[in-house]
Amino acid sequence: MNRILVIDDAATVRMYHRKILGDAGWHTDEASNGVEALERIHAQDDDTAFDLFVVDINMPRMDGYSFVRELRRLPARHQAPVVMVSTEARAPDANAAFDAGANAYLVKPARPPELVLTAALMLGDRPAAMKAAIKAAAGVKP
Amino acid sequence: MNTGTKQGRVLAPPVISDVDFQKFAEFFHRKTGIHFEPSKRYFVDKRLVERIQATGAENFRAWFVALRFGTDGAELQQLVNVMTVNETYFFRESYQFDCMVNHMLGEVAARKRPGGRIRIWSIPSSTGEEPYSIAIYLLERWALIEKYEVEILSSDIDTQVLQAAQRGIYSARSVAQLPQPYLKKYFTPCGKSESESGGEWRISRELVESVAFSHINLTDPADTRRFRDIDIVFCRNLLIYFDDLSRRVAAEAMFDTMAPGGFICLGHSESMSRMSSLFTMRRFPDAMVYQRPL
Amino acid sequence: MALKKATDSTGLRPVEDRDYTRDTDGLVAQLNDADISVRRWAARDLAAHPRAAAALCARLAQESDASVRAVLFSSAARLGGSGVVNALLPLLRSEDAGLRNGAIEVLAGLPDAVTPHIDRLLKDTDSDVRIFAVNLLGNLQHAQVPQWLAQVLLHEPAVNVVGAALEVLAEVGTPETLPALRSAAQRFADDAYIGFAVDLAIVRIGAP
Repeated sequence: MNRILVIDDAATVRMYHRKILGDAGWHTDEASNGVEALERIHAQDDDTAFDLFVVDINMPRMDGYSFVRELRRLPARHQAPVVMVSTEARAPDANAAFDAGANAYLVKPARPPELVLTAALMLGDRPAAMKAAIKAAAGVKP
Repeated sequence: MNTGTKQGRVLAPPVISDVDFQKFAEFFHRKTGIHFEPSKRYFVDKRLVERIQATGAENFRAWFVALRFGTDGAELQQLVNVMTVNETYFFRESYQFDCMVNHMLGEVAARKRPGGRIRIWSIPSSTGEEPYSIAIYLLERWALIEKYEVEILSSDIDTQVLQAAQRGIYSARSVAQLPQPYLKKYFTPCGKSESESGGEWRISRELVESVAFSHINLTDPADTRRFRDIDIVFCRNLLIYFDDLSRRVAAEAMFDTMAPGGFICLGHSESMSRMSSLFTMRRFPDAMVYQRPL
Repeated sequence: MALKKATDSTGLRPVEDRDYTRDTDGLVAQLNDADISVRRWAARDLAAHPRAAAALCARLAQESDASVRAVLFSSAARLGGSGVVNALLPLLRSEDAGLRNGAIEVLAGLPDAVTPHIDRLLKDTDSDVRIFAVNLLGNLQHAQVPQWLAQVLLHEPAVNVVGAALEVLAEVGTPETLPALRSAAQRFADDAYIGFAVDLAIVRIGAP
């Protein structure tokens, strides 16, 4: 069962992302900033290691970029794809995300099918990706 | 128009709804890092009702508003007190002592010359269980104890507990986690015989003399300035009782008392993420601790 | 070797008078010392010197060491007051995320001193500044808070500022904010998050 860690300082946003991802059939956990996230990661053993991180950029104590950079310094068993989520739609922030080591970048608030599709693609979960893609396509207005 | 005497209304005890619990849990987690799962409803609800009644609030909502905007933090302090288990006893959260002898001391010693001095600080000392537990662990479970000079310091803001710590008398409950051989070796029974149930135990003078006790306020720079070159700090289940700013100030103060590369251990539900970004996290097999960068 | 016998001076360094000039001007001068520890200690001691608030805050933009910066912010927070608030508000616009977040954290702990600035902050052209102002309202016990939040729900164009307001209302919302909540849901009818957050706030307010 795929396990996703949602990292955002706003409780409501964490709840929202967890609901979307949970409804898609994945197990979710949460952390409210980068430091807490690293602690969560260290607290897992191989069975419960995270398969995906959904990370907000603007967080106190340690922002999203710093978290991803720290994550990428950890041993291989802790590594997993990172979807960065940000309020900024400017190109420089997307580049900064990829430079830090993220794999995907979404502007928030993310639309549910978009988030699920991105997560599914990152997780290599084809059935979920198919479902989400169909839903996303249905949402496109003519 | 009311003509009769006013009867005292007997209020039914407040009911804590699921939404109330969620609101409280989120707020409490934000403030203290302590996370209450829905499985803890019985534990939490009981104490919430206690606080609501103790403050004379009409219901959860009224109590919660007062809590959230309380300017002196008094109710939050009370709340933290009732929601956390305050008990102290020998070998409490001993996995961190395991980490000390199995890993932390190894790294610390590697930076010292043979015979060098290693400093360990336990704060709060409370009634002494923690610093004495550290002493016993060092003597019994650290292979290199004879190769270095270890100083144990311990501090508290409360002079009464400091005095109790130096008296060194403990209840049967307090020593219950100690292996029998250690109990026999380092304690003498206070009662007429060893088998007196519920009897108290007095710790050896030698152990009492191996701890340097001091009275300090962690948020006063004049007090913490006196501590230098600390290699390992144990600061467990103290900072959750502080407000946000005091917690930061205390964490920063401890940073300056530590030698580069020194370690600090917090209580199992505490996290530096809420307090300060000065420390790096280190994950050892026995425990997760924090380190002042080298 | 082994456990050292504790003596009166074990571990505790005696404090010498000549070690340091602990007067305000002396300490402020030490904020520029080449040694990080000296700067950090000066920053810590200045928490007891209200006269130094301006100097403390001014040093922030120049200080390159994270540990000194952290203590500068803590001392500013301990001093509090309108001087500190005025000095830190410009940092909300800083390109440096560390300065921005540090300032936010301090200002968030000084809600009463920030109150006179709320109106202006809620109209700032930078949406991140508006988000900060909204978050601050969550810590403020002030008669005008429900109106301020309602204004955001009714008129704020940036979806993430509205999201921040909903986050606050999930914890401190009152029945009087319900009409504005419904209006926000309508304004952002396409946005799944806004709908989710409005529903949550309504449930938390406990309305029928």
